[in-house]
Amino acid sequence: MSEEIKHFDLVILGHGAAAFSAGIKASELSSGEMSIAMIGTGPLGGTCVNVGCVPSKYLLEASHRVFRPKHPKMEGIYETNVVHDFSAVMKGLRSYVKQARESKYVDVMRSYENVALYEGLARFTDRKTVEISDPKGKKIGKVSGSNILIATGSRPSIPNIDGLNDAGFLTSDTIWGIDELPSSIAIVGGGAIGLEIGQALLHFGSSVTVIEALDSLLPQTEPEIGSAIRALLEKEGMKFYMKARVSSVHKSSKNKIVEVITHKGRERVEVDEILVATGRLPNTDTLNLDAAGIKTDPRGQVLTERSMKTTSPGIYAAGDCVSKRLFLETLAAREGVIAVSNMFGEDLRIDYDSSTWAVFTYPQIAGVGMTENEFSRKNGSCSCRTFPLSNLTKASIIGETEGLIKITVDPKDNRVVGMHIMAPNATDIITEGAYAVQNGYKINDIIATSHIFPSMSEGIKNAAQSFIRDLSMMSCCME
Amino acid sequence: MEEKKVKLRIYGMTCDDCVRTISSSLKKQPGVLDVKISLQEGTGEVKIEPAGLSPEGILKNQVFSKGSHYKATLVE
Repeated sequence: MSEEIKHFDLVILGHGAAAFSAGIKASELSSGEMSIAMIGTGPLGGTCVNVGCVPSKYLLEASHRVFRPKHPKMEGIYETNVVHDFSAVMKGLRSYVKQARESKYVDVMRSYENVALYEGLARFTDRKTVEISDPKGKKIGKVSGSNILIATGSRPSIPNIDGLNDAGFLTSDTIWGIDELPSSIAIVGGGAIGLEIGQALLHFGSSVTVIEALDSLLPQTEPEIGSAIRALLEKEGMKFYMKARVSSVHKSSKNKIVEVITHKGRERVEVDEILVATGRLPNTDTLNLDAAGIKTDPRGQVLTERSMKTTSPGIYAAGDCVSKRLFLETLAAREGVIAVSNMFGEDLRIDYDSSTWAVFTYPQIAGVGMTENEFSRKNGSCSCRTFPLSNLTKASIIGETEGLIKITVDPKDNRVVGMHIMAPNATDIITEGAYAVQNGYKINDIIATSHIFPSMSEGIKNAAQSFIRDLSMMSCCME
Repeated sequence: MEEKKVKLRIYGMTCDDCVRTISSSLKKQPGVLDVKISLQEGTGEVKIEPAGLSPEGILKNQVFSKGSHYKATLVE
């Protein structure tokens, strides 16, 4: 290895969404003059495009196209069996991921001559310098940076379960390589990843069992939504073990046996395959952060201020390796832009309060801001209303009434502080909630805004109106 | 009086006029004692009085503000 240290204006550790967003912003601000080193392993683009949002949404959309014609919800429309080939769907998924990676990352990178890509793992040797090794541990070079951004992302966390490694399992990193639909699957972890992949496989015809440690699903959202999505998934055939944990796993001649401990005692679940979806770990353990004076939380996530500055001067962090509550590609990209803008002397802060998040089950779940409980705990009281989709004309017409919209306001001034939605297109209509929370809009601002009738977005206006009147006493399109 | 030297990487400079524009704007900033700029290296060295101006404060100079095509980051 050459002992020469190559200097860059900016060194970015990682090459996923946060890293790209930061590199592009830095190039724009410096008119392409800033010299940037980007260091990472694996395919360009990181989690989202390769093993996250993109393949999971592809799989979900394909699965809904198989499932929904079999379950028509309007009178006179009859069950239709959709002919499909799971292996071909997975081939299409991988092809789409490759094309998305090429067009959104590989080709984009070619446009930036000021960015040097290094394939390898980075390790701090001091506050300004990192050593790069290839995946086998062989040192391949050293670079230093006037500014450094840590954007190394995260990876699936694997719990220490007796026999799990010997039996074999899938994660959200590896499931995209399968060609055959598992006839049955146990999903360890009932969070967003577990529910999304679980529903997709269920819709293709797998028998799905979810084992969740908590007593409710999706604790980040309103409890009414957690209960409603569980009821819907159970109706579709998904089995749940709540407040349960897996004690051990072993293989039988044909299948995998999962030993589950519940409040009722021990139960055995025999399945074709296992998916571990118990959260994610930050990729910070090999960075030697101590050498640079960077502090982390107990999980190893990098501590930052809202400016994305770490505890070490000149070093910033962005994306899934940062200590925070929400882990989203959109947030990672925003954090990357904020970090770089602040390197150029701006004074930007990340706004986690108006960040939207989603779970892409069908119906979708999306939220922004605080839940009723969160606001009450912080402020002592709150005011909220829940509007069921069964009261919404558009939802009734299409037969998609299993869902709700809940709005939480500050009772002092009726300012919207949170909105949580379960609806077929919750991920689209939640943006109205984001505008409201970010800009401090009040209930009357939503009511006074024109909404199309009949539409799902009208449900947000109805939810707002339920603060001021009894909706059962309200005619259609009442202002 | 305490003094501190701050090194900048300056982007967007193409000629001696750029150097003069940036130097002149920085020298007017309260807390700045001296400015040396290298067009060739795209760098600047600014001597400041730390009690009156932080290194980050230099980046907030009008000459580097939004809309200006001159931008800078701290090197040290």
